[in-house]
Amino acid sequence: MNAKVSATIAVIITGAVLLYGVADFPDFGDPTSPANAGVEGGAPSASLHFINESYKETKVPNLVTSVLADYRGYDTMFETVVIFAAGLAIFVILRNLRSDDPLPEPLPATEDRFIDGDHQRIIVGTTCRIAIPLVQIFALYVVAHGHHSPGGGFQGGVMLGASFILVALGGNLRDALARLGEDTFMRLASLGILIYAAFGLVPQFLGRNFLDYGVLEKIFLTDGPEMARSHSMLGVEVGVALTVMSIMFAIFANLSSRGEMRGGL
Amino acid sequence: MIFSLLGGLLIVAGLVFFFGAALGLLRFPDFYSRMHAAGKGDTLSSLLVVIGFALHELHDFSSFTHDWPTILVILKLSAIVVFIFLTSPTSTSALMDAGWEDGVEPVIEPGRPNVLRDDTEAR
Repeated sequence: MNAKVSATIAVIITGAVLLYGVADFPDFGDPTSPANAGVEGGAPSASLHFINESYKETKVPNLVTSVLADYRGYDTMFETVVIFAAGLAIFVILRNLRSDDPLPEPLPATEDRFIDGDHQRIIVGTTCRIAIPLVQIFALYVVAHGHHSPGGGFQGGVMLGASFILVALGGNLRDALARLGEDTFMRLASLGILIYAAFGLVPQFLGRNFLDYGVLEKIFLTDGPEMARSHSMLGVEVGVALTVMSIMFAIFANLSSRGEMRGGL
Repeated sequence: MIFSLLGGLLIVAGLVFFFGAALGLLRFPDFYSRMHAAGKGDTLSSLLVVIGFALHELHDFSSFTHDWPTILVILKLSAIVVFIFLTSPTSTSALMDAGWEDGVEPVIEPGRPNVLRDDTEAR
């Protein structure tokens, strides 16, 4: 049986299992579902708790951020791991490291060169030069402002990754890799997850559950567990942003140069 | 009142240009003229609509100290205007160039010279 047929069968089986699981879901917005109404004689309503208590418990006005990075931190951590795994998969499939093809020398850091070449290069290069710093600053703002407005690690990380992709599109991939080399971004991707995991492990050493940020008040020296949770969320978002940024750029660099990491666009 | 009216006028004008861009995208014969319609129309109409929003925000503006949030919104909208003004024409130009490099032939009236080709060969 060839690969296409077996892949199709696997996809159909997985899809059928997922659809079967969806059938057990409560209706969308059902007021009597366990998430909205709570379990009778058991857990109270989760939504109500988040809506009424999350600001008091975390001092984060943006409900989405506090749910995503604190109450459901475990889920978000493994979402980040999924993105990391996607980046690794791209690396494993595409990256060309054959032994008869020696590794390219580490690229020298280019000087801040003048934009030259034909008209097209000048137009695109100049616009990218103007846009990239603005995109990066805005990305940092989105990462840091996730507590108060829509945003956070995933969105800011994508924007940071896009800014490096823009370097490659406006100039060439070599320039982009000189600024964010392959070993750098793979390390940054792992570092992001490690930061997240550290925010989970440190509370464990202090005698609480994994990702129970409130106890970090002893380390951050905040007055109360609420601000500790707020600060930890920012730390976690930074970790997410690092991973997402690196993986976005890793995927682009591998795809655009067919795993060679030198020519590319 | 006057700002609200002016803003509405700009938004309607932007929608007219949007309509033109969409019509051009559907009706023009080849890649280049379609990109021309989409690029030019999209840029101008987005600018008009966003500037219209900014003017509309001014409609109950009384003083700088009191309406500080309004100013903030207008500043953000202006930033969007500047950004669209920079990036949209550039992306159109880059797409056109990519099409030309890729060998997409323009549709030319029979009997007329292909000026684009002469340009490239002269270079």
